[in-house]
Amino acid sequence: MAEIKVLIVDDETEFAATLAERLELRRMRTRVAGGADEALAIMGEGWRPDVVLLDLKMPGLDGLQTLTLLKQQDSALEVILVSGHGSTSTGMEGMQKGLFDYLLKPVDIGVVVEKIEQAYLKKTGSAQRGKD
Amino acid sequence: MIFRLPKIEKVLFEGRTSRHRQNLSAEGRYRHLRRSLLVTMLLITLIPLAGTSLLSFFQYRQLIRQEAINNLQWHGESTQRSLEVFLDKLKNALVVTANSYPVGDLVQQKNLDRIFTELKNDHRGLVDLSLINPEGIQVAYAGPYNLLGKNYRGSAWYNQALARKVFVSDVFTGYRNVPHFVIAVTKKEPGQNGYWVVRASIDTRTLEDFLASAWAEQIDELFLINQENILQTSSWHWGRTGETFPITFSPIRKGFNLISEQSNNGKVLRAAGAVVGTTWTLVVEQRDNAEQKSWHSFRDQLVIIFVITVLAAGVLIINISNALAAKIRAADEDRELFLKDQEHTNKLASIGRLAAGVAHEINNPLAIINEKAGLLKDILKLTRDFPHHDKFITQLTALESAVERARAITHRLLGFARRMDVSLKSVQLNEIIREVLGFLEKEALYRNIKLELHLLRDLPPIKSDPGQLQQVLLNIINNAIDAIDKDGNIRITTQQLTAGRVQVDIRDDGPGMPHHILQNIFEPFFSTKLGEGHGTGLGLSITYGLVKKLGGEIYVESDEGLGTTFSLVFPIDQQQERG
Repeated sequence: MAEIKVLIVDDETEFAATLAERLELRRMRTRVAGGADEALAIMGEGWRPDVVLLDLKMPGLDGLQTLTLLKQQDSALEVILVSGHGSTSTGMEGMQKGLFDYLLKPVDIGVVVEKIEQAYLKKTGSAQRGKD
Repeated sequence: MIFRLPKIEKVLFEGRTSRHRQNLSAEGRYRHLRRSLLVTMLLITLIPLAGTSLLSFFQYRQLIRQEAINNLQWHGESTQRSLEVFLDKLKNALVVTANSYPVGDLVQQKNLDRIFTELKNDHRGLVDLSLINPEGIQVAYAGPYNLLGKNYRGSAWYNQALARKVFVSDVFTGYRNVPHFVIAVTKKEPGQNGYWVVRASIDTRTLEDFLASAWAEQIDELFLINQENILQTSSWHWGRTGETFPITFSPIRKGFNLISEQSNNGKVLRAAGAVVGTTWTLVVEQRDNAEQKSWHSFRDQLVIIFVITVLAAGVLIINISNALAAKIRAADEDRELFLKDQEHTNKLASIGRLAAGVAHEINNPLAIINEKAGLLKDILKLTRDFPHHDKFITQLTALESAVERARAITHRLLGFARRMDVSLKSVQLNEIIREVLGFLEKEALYRNIKLELHLLRDLPPIKSDPGQLQQVLLNIINNAIDAIDKDGNIRITTQQLTAGRVQVDIRDDGPGMPHHILQNIFEPFFSTKLGEGHGTGLGLSITYGLVKKLGGEIYVESDEGLGTTFSLVFPIDQQQERG
């Protein structure tokens, strides 16, 4: 599998940075953003992630609002919500907005990697179908 | 000991003392309510009844009294008129005699005797007839007494006769010493000074006979008195002629009037009228007559009817007040129960929100710990020659395990807070039980716990949420397994109840629970599981919330040392039930 580019958007920078490092060790390329603005700026630089790990509760724009903006930037982008706050209704709303999956913190690295790979396969599969 | 926990018992937080005090004050409140109802209804019923009875009482009494007075007056007046006619006849006869005969004829004994005999034949009661000269000396006398030559110049009646020309005297005894009255008429002899007086006397017995003949059943007695209240005829009640009649009253000038009503020793109606042409007053009295007897009879009947009605109304009203107070009390208790239930639900919801907040706040640092530990482990795995490599790996694994435990707790807290919509489907309760047991069979086997199923074959399907129903059963059966720990039995029974309900009983033969634990078993964060890694205290609280959400009820019975039974009751169709 090719290197997957993962953008981690979370205001908990310690969490984001550590998770990024662990994903790097699993041969993924990562960038970390502290919020929606930083995430959009990174994408504005031309760095296009395959999968975004997005926190739900953040200062400024929250996860669902950020999801909308990211999808506007790149509709093929797959986004996984990773939050400490679980709510079925939030999950349902996210799914309606094109969310790939919803994970509750703290997460097992194995589960995260598995979800990222699934999301990536979905993205590349749909991209492949788009090319066909 | 068996503790049956009806709905209210599950949500009681008060201590025994305060609850006892509350019961006492409630008891007083309902006693007061019952008393108020009783008094109000008694007043509403008895005031009109008493009013009507009193009105009848007074109106009938007034009617009776008026009738008695009318009777009295009618008899009095007719007797008075008869007496006046009787006296007028006598007076007229005497006036005619005085005017018809010259003094010269009248002084002749023979003539006077003849005239007396004629008058006596026409007028009963006449005792004698005499002539008195202008000097007051009785010069001629016809009658039974020897009164010739008697001087009357000093007599009151003689002087009154001279002054009035015709005069009827009071009753007196005089020279003859026998009660009588006189009728005196003056006579002027031509060519002479002064007046002659023709006098007739009448025995009092004549008057008494006259009054006796006027007596009727409606009256008690009749008698005559003079202006000084001296009896002119004898009275059964007041004494003989000449005695004083003790009742004083204003002089009566016209007609026949009521003069007094006495109530001592029975009612006495008394009416009187002046006898025209005399100084007499005719008095008529009535004691305890027929009307009064009729009145007493009416009064007694009225009192009996009133008392019976009051007693009957009293009994009825007491019963109605008790029934009403009981109904109000039952309604209040239902409302209280509902409020307590609501309070419990609200408490769960508040704790749910708190739990969600806490879980969220804890999850973030927990995630950092998890990631840091994970990263360290990752790095260690890459550097095999690191000193104490294995020891570090062991420590980090323990750290991850602790994080996992904390995660389990926070996730359960979030599960508690989650407000999922109930999705109703037709559910076979027996199947759900078998599915749940599928999860737990290995655990039970490992602990040597025997699972016995007594499931009703034709149990009707119920409308419920299968996921939440599984959660409920899983929690309770899991609790039963934990309670037994090792070597025991769990018996699960299903049955159909009347009124469209089904029941599941889960009985374990574990150690059972004492009363204080049983009282709090459905409270959030209440746990009996000791030691690390056991119980958040939310399991049964969540279960309780889920059961309520599914429209059901949950009960628990426990015998200390024998085991515990959880009973779940669900409606077959909860929408219909709610509707």
